[in-house]
Amino acid sequence: MTLSATELCHGYDGDPVFDGVSLSVTPGEVVTIIGPSGVGKSTLLRLLALFDAPDDGTITVDGVDVWAASDQRRLEYRRRIGMVFQEASLFDASVRRNVEYGVRVRQSWADRLRTALSSLSRRGNGDSNVVEALETVGLHERADRDATSLSGGQAQRVAFARALAYEPDVLLLDEPTSDLDPRNTAVIEDAVLAATERDIGVVVATHDMHQAERIGDRVAVLLGNEIIEVGPTEPIFESPSDDRTRKFIDGELIY
Amino acid sequence: MIGHALTAGYAVLMGAVTGSLLPLALEFPFEWHYIRSIIRVSLHVSLVAVTLSTLCSIPVALLIGFKEFRGKTLVTSLINTGMGFPSVVVGLVVLFAVSNEGPLGTFDLVFTPEAMIMSQFVLAAPVITGVTLAAVSSVDQNVRDAAFAMGGTRIDVALVTIKEARYGIATAVLAGFGRAISEVGSVLIVGGNITGPEGISQTRTLTTAIQLEARQGRFQTAMLLGAVLVVLVLLVNALVIRLGNGGGRYR
Repeated sequence: MTLSATELCHGYDGDPVFDGVSLSVTPGEVVTIIGPSGVGKSTLLRLLALFDAPDDGTITVDGVDVWAASDQRRLEYRRRIGMVFQEASLFDASVRRNVEYGVRVRQSWADRLRTALSSLSRRGNGDSNVVEALETVGLHERADRDATSLSGGQAQRVAFARALAYEPDVLLLDEPTSDLDPRNTAVIEDAVLAATERDIGVVVATHDMHQAERIGDRVAVLLGNEIIEVGPTEPIFESPSDDRTRKFIDGELIY
Repeated sequence: MIGHALTAGYAVLMGAVTGSLLPLALEFPFEWHYIRSIIRVSLHVSLVAVTLSTLCSIPVALLIGFKEFRGKTLVTSLINTGMGFPSVVVGLVVLFAVSNEGPLGTFDLVFTPEAMIMSQFVLAAPVITGVTLAAVSSVDQNVRDAAFAMGGTRIDVALVTIKEARYGIATAVLAGFGRAISEVGSVLIVGGNITGPEGISQTRTLTTAIQLEARQGRFQTAMLLGAVLVVLVLLVNALVIRLGNGGGRYR
């Protein structure tokens, strides 16, 4: 599915965060949003994840205006989008229960009750998607561990597996590796690339230029209240058309 | 040598127990059906009151915890005030409500277990709401966002919050039960501390019975009832901790 934002304007308490931002992601591509901290990358991702309605502008899924659709339709669209936050924010339960969550909320109440009852009587291996998602991040052997006992890097990998398990069409990652060591970062980046092979469109907000260069097919530079430049990663990194982009990529203080 | 001494000591001890304490226990002037009926009334009133309070308090706490509205601070401080509300005043108000002239006068509830349930409900509800509110408010916004981002509806997010706050909610229910079963003032006023013809309690609870027995000088009975009350509170504590625990740890 193609998720698009067109001319978004949004702010908090009258303070505009951004003004006229447009961005889209198609199946199998990785779009990175780069920009300094506090520029509104998270706000943009939350709007794309359909957390809040934008003050102005439209968000469409395959051309359909999501906020003009019924609540039920919007829930269906929302359930095709996965999001991983900067903090893992795992539930106080086992790793498996965490990863199952997205699958469970998509079941009917009757099915959920049945699953809950059968899990009381025996310990099943669970959904194959759950196992596969945990294998993708290399944590399938820790499925029965208490999620609160994991290290920061492992917790973030579980958070990523949680979003993979229900097979979203679009994955939004909000600085997913900013607190991680290089090894855990590499696991997440590999998992992102694996996701694109399954035709999942990925949007990554990051302030790590190298990461944007490594995994991004396209890059959007968010500065001030707008996206000042968007396009294929390599040309933008090599010869940005906007001088502010060049300064930002070179690490100069521009804000 | 030491073994002999221990055995001898044990024999002396057992002799003392069987010689003095056991006859005492057997000669206790307890009428067990009287004690049993008091325990039954106490448990019935407090468990029903706490169950009803819990069912009402948790949704209210979730609503107050999640919604931003004008006067939220006021509502929260009212609930916190309610936690320490004097039980005799609650008894008085409930007695007025169920009396002939009161709004519930037609139901004829004066000196009934139902009236006692009402007053204990009023006493337990602010405690359960207040402690639950504190527990759900401390659940990280990020955790709720994560549940929403994974496709959860508002109900799913509320359920996740309850689950995350389970230890705090268990504590809330325990505190409410403790307040309900151990209070004397309101149940005495609205229940009347009544026993039926053959000494079977109708509205006599452990606390009101202890008060009466102590005043009449039957200290042994009063002490036994006191011990039963303490054991009951301990048992319910252990049970709730076990349930809230889910085989894991209590934090």
